[in-house]
Amino acid sequence: MAITVSPETFDFVSFDAAYIARIAQHVAEQLGVSDIDFAIEIDETSALNRIGTDTSGTPVQITVHSGAFEDKRRPRQQSEVDTTLSIARCMLRARDRVRGGFADAPAEKDLTLPQAAAWDTWIIARLARLDMPVNKQAWQYNWRNRHGFNDRADAAFERMWQAESMDWSQLCAASDAARSISA
Amino acid sequence: MRKFMPASELARDERFSQITQRDRMADGRSTVVLNNDQNRRSNNRLTPQRGDASEAARALMHGIFVGEIQALEGAGRTCWDFTTGEEAPFALKLDMARQAWDEARHVEISCKLSDWMGAEIGQYAENTVLFEAACSDDPVLRLAGVNRALEGLAIDVFTTMKEFGEIAGDPYLEFCEDWMLADEVTHVKMGSDWLRKVTENDPERRKKALEFQNIVDKMFSYGGSRSESDESSLMIARRFRELAGFTDTEVDYIAEVSMQALNERKAQIAERQAAVASKN
Repeated sequence: MAITVSPETFDFVSFDAAYIARIAQHVAEQLGVSDIDFAIEIDETSALNRIGTDTSGTPVQITVHSGAFEDKRRPRQQSEVDTTLSIARCMLRARDRVRGGFADAPAEKDLTLPQAAAWDTWIIARLARLDMPVNKQAWQYNWRNRHGFNDRADAAFERMWQAESMDWSQLCAASDAARSISA
Repeated sequence: MRKFMPASELARDERFSQITQRDRMADGRSTVVLNNDQNRRSNNRLTPQRGDASEAARALMHGIFVGEIQALEGAGRTCWDFTTGEEAPFALKLDMARQAWDEARHVEISCKLSDWMGAEIGQYAENTVLFEAACSDDPVLRLAGVNRALEGLAIDVFTTMKEFGEIAGDPYLEFCEDWMLADEVTHVKMGSDWLRKVTENDPERRKKALEFQNIVDKMFSYGGSRSESDESSLMIARRFRELAGFTDTEVDYIAEVSMQALNERKAQIAERQAAVASKN
């Protein structure tokens, strides 16, 4: 497996490319994607908390705005927890697409907001089971923003969070069902 | 008890991590996203339609939470720092005491909303710029800086968040922001009324206070995060500002300063992105 990080040095933030690569290596082993090559590209001019994954070519591209790796309490400093979680989210999404029953999923830019939220929920739930520090309430809020603020949408979130397995069609069906309840 | 306390001595427990406006201005990054297509503008308005809406709303809610703490401290300080009658009328202090009561309630509401949205106290850095604006040794300048500029910004923030809750269908967010917005309009109105009353026979002092308000408004516009353009995450709430006693000319000035700040920011980003691209 090859993991590359660019840029190699940072001007706007105090990030360490070698450290990011080491974290990525560790996460890849944890998630069983050590056989996939990844190129992590960081936009250090943006403080936004955005990430993206593109599995259309080789290596798999992970794009990150610097806010996604940042310690929110200490602006411009790198957070090990946030770096780990952001990379893990991207790698799990790549794994889902490559061999997890999500081959039919549209490209990132074509995902609807509810689809993206449902997929994020499914990803974060699995990371929580690996004892990664996730705030379930934050992800439930994200789900509610996309599926509705009511008890039935909450029940659908809980089912997604507890699910043992999921493929793209099942995920879409669960998301659509939750939304139709709210509509 | 000490009078005129600096922002660096605000009491906080270990959960909080504070930064100053200087720290913020040293951060060359931006939250404004440039559209590479020169003919199209990016829409960065904080609405549920944004992909990162939940995280952005959470971060803003934490900013509101710490802002409310500092507004409480500022209003309370104005009651204490000035001699009744000589430096500040009793009725002005009574209004500040009432405001402190409102702000205390807002702190509790914001804290609970943060919890509801999945944020923890101290999860984000606290910028002490709001309290810094409340450290003037002239109560009229404080009214201009805090009640008109700062609380004016609060009107913009609460209007944005209320609409966010309304569009997303979040009943708690919409309801709470609406109630807090009503209080903020009252606070700005207090500032507008007292500024006029206290400086009625002192045009020089009024001029100085309005200049200070403009400086604070410029500071809050830094980075272009608030303007009438969809490229900024926060809108300028003209109608509520009008209700709070701002004249059309004053709102036009804020809109102009904000747009200028946004354009400056965009030019900086383009320049920095070009520098990074040439390095790589």
